[in-house]
Amino acid sequence: MSLVDESFELKELQVLEGHADRVWSVAWKPATGFDGVPAVLASCSGDKTVRVWEQSPSSGSFQCKAVLEETHTRTVRSCAWSPSGKLLATASFDATTAVWEHVGDDYECVSTLEGHENEVKSISWNASGSLLATCGRDKSVWIWEVLPGNEFECVSVLQGHTQDVKMVQWHPNMDILFSCSYDNTIKVWAEDGDDDWHCVQTLAEANNGHTSTVWALSFNATGDKMATCSDDLTLKIWGSDLLTIQSGNGSAPWKHICTLSGYHDRTIFSVHWSREGIIASGAADDAIRLFAEDGDGLVDEPKYHLLLKKDKAHDMDVNSVQWSSAGNRLLASASDDGTIKIWELISLAGDQKPPL
Amino acid sequence: MSSEKFSATLRIGDLNDYIAPSQGCVVSLKANSNPNPNTPPTSSSRLDKFYAENPATLGKAVKPVETEPVKISLKDCLACSGCITSAETVMLEKQSLDEFLSSINKGKAVIVSVSPQSRASLAVHFGLSPLQVFKKLTTLFKTLGVKAVFDTSCSRDLTLIESCYEFITRYRQCHLTTDEKSKLALPMISSACPGWICYAEKTLGSYILPYISSVKSPQQTIGAIIKNHICQMLCIRPEDIYHVTVMPCYDKKLEAVRDDFVFQVEAQGEKITEVDSVLTTGELLDLVKSRSVDFASLEESPLDKLLANAAEGGHLYGVHGSSGGYAEIIFRYAAKTLFGKEIVGPLNFKTIRNSDFKEVTLEVDGETVLKFALCYGFRNLQNVVRKIKAGKCEYQFLEIMACPSGCLNGGGQIKPKAGESAKDLIQSLELKYMENVTEADPLENPIIKGLYAEWLDEPGSEKAKKHMHTEYHPIVKSITSQLQNW
Repeated sequence: MSLVDESFELKELQVLEGHADRVWSVAWKPATGFDGVPAVLASCSGDKTVRVWEQSPSSGSFQCKAVLEETHTRTVRSCAWSPSGKLLATASFDATTAVWEHVGDDYECVSTLEGHENEVKSISWNASGSLLATCGRDKSVWIWEVLPGNEFECVSVLQGHTQDVKMVQWHPNMDILFSCSYDNTIKVWAEDGDDDWHCVQTLAEANNGHTSTVWALSFNATGDKMATCSDDLTLKIWGSDLLTIQSGNGSAPWKHICTLSGYHDRTIFSVHWSREGIIASGAADDAIRLFAEDGDGLVDEPKYHLLLKKDKAHDMDVNSVQWSSAGNRLLASASDDGTIKIWELISLAGDQKPPL
Repeated sequence: MSSEKFSATLRIGDLNDYIAPSQGCVVSLKANSNPNPNTPPTSSSRLDKFYAENPATLGKAVKPVETEPVKISLKDCLACSGCITSAETVMLEKQSLDEFLSSINKGKAVIVSVSPQSRASLAVHFGLSPLQVFKKLTTLFKTLGVKAVFDTSCSRDLTLIESCYEFITRYRQCHLTTDEKSKLALPMISSACPGWICYAEKTLGSYILPYISSVKSPQQTIGAIIKNHICQMLCIRPEDIYHVTVMPCYDKKLEAVRDDFVFQVEAQGEKITEVDSVLTTGELLDLVKSRSVDFASLEESPLDKLLANAAEGGHLYGVHGSSGGYAEIIFRYAAKTLFGKEIVGPLNFKTIRNSDFKEVTLEVDGETVLKFALCYGFRNLQNVVRKIKAGKCEYQFLEIMACPSGCLNGGGQIKPKAGESAKDLIQSLELKYMENVTEADPLENPIIKGLYAEWLDEPGSEKAKKHMHTEYHPIVKSITSQLQNW
């Protein structure tokens, strides 16, 4: 039985309050939330701070354990944990990226990356934690190498987008970088083996791509599919031949699989694919929607169905939705209303739709 | 004029994607491009997000965009702390072929100075040797009415000598004194790349500028020689000379219009510009094409040896290093002057992280006493700048060039032919650059020796400082651009 045959409820577990301005982004700390390790979540805000929240093992509720402040002088637009969870990187409108290390009970800013001309919009670590990518309003994408001793070296400055770059995201298991932009495109960047990075593919309107700003992108667990969301009110699913990519025999192009239109009537700011295959979207209509692939295998072309729509998930725009990777079906959302919400996806057993 | 033509380092400053005419820059951008950065999105939620992400544009982005482009000069761009090359409408009137040709017709004494990198680019393009290209260019320009055709590898030797002396001075200041100022003496950073200078002044600001060599670039050096000294030998008033350079790089146009490179002979006299106009190699090729000239079959005229590195036998001479050889020449000079080590044979440049970052070291008694680096391209530039800012730079000299692969790969060079990769072209250019060009010590250049003897006295003299050195100025962010970045 596939996910689309089940009935679900998105249950609000907790509202996290503390930020004094809109919350832009949330990030679950890897390797937390299972095996007795309490779940940890970072959030960042227009109030120039980053907050780190930890789930209490006894009560199960999240509490703010740290406020990372007095480093960024403007909005903190996005945050990302390194794969090991040892470092937290934060991207700010003050044109810098800060890297924080958890030392004792405190978070210490161990490095500041300068170079972007102005607002840094997004940040992403590669799978091994050896590379860090940033992007911003100066239309550029930067790749930094992580060196011992919290040193960072600029590996590449990529100019290809013609407008503000909204988000960078590494492929979940290969060193291929994806960026999406106000110029309506998604660009794929790869190394040529000679330490030079190049744009190997541009997914634009002509490739069944988006017709307005692409705000975010996310990969499925295996990394052969990618979801993108846009101001054009659609989600798009893209696919690539993973075996070809892994064999290293040239680049496997990403192809448009399908477009999820008609579900949103306002800008979609965030998309995130859970490990079990549920796509969450956060949009300007204050709602959260969940989608899953129709697993019946009866048609060649995959179909995605709306599992549920949570109206009024927040009082204002939902800027970020993030599934926990711990397999606990927890979803965090961040909003212009200044709050973060923790949701649990609950399967309504006994209320299943009959198989077709 | 497309901003793509400037070096990537300058284009990174191309920041104001939401710039409106009211905001610092007087230039209106190309209208009606989609998505149009001047027009905020129409849906209300997107509008909220637009302003949330770009708060300083509030109340500005909605202003109507003028459709008539406002003309601004490159000088306006230099003075501004905002974007410099994002506007397609930037006017390059003073820097174009038309201006060059009309100056000949106005009866000015036109002098053209050709860079060795441009020579190499044309040589690869036409399958000729650099010497043949130089001689044929002389024919072409003289046919058009140009008075003299000079060679900036000649003035570069003067630049290199002044740089060697400056390095020794800085090194001694750093090692013999311990005051705060002496800490700013090293590393010394080369100053010949205008893309780097512009980035340093606009983006990095005052912390980096003391490290930059005060010696003028070969382009400005030859301009200063012509308009201060050679003009007298030619019995032409400097104001009657129109001096054009042919360069591998669009950014050289920005260098030529700097106020620092304008002087007056008398207090109330006419302002004299060292370099009146810069043509790129590509623009020169356009000239050749527009005149339907069969370049390869042009006659080979004798060279103007007044300011050209051409020896009696007819062959060319110059220094090794296709971006000017600053690190190499200063390294050799410092090794000899400071440590009594004469280095015979080629220097051992070690590739550090990529082919655009190389270092060379001198060891004396097992101790590294000199460590220089070549650092080309924006990414490598970023890393050395980070190190300098953190006080962790282990180099005493840095040859920084904004373009990957250095000056042969300048934005003004002739583009690869169909089917030719950029990397292949660079390899051809590197080989062609020194083809039949004899390596020669700048200190032994008879023309430069003559200039010191007749005019500049000696390296580092007051006269040399006056004519061959310059200053750098941090661009203070204007109030409007600060508002932009609050």
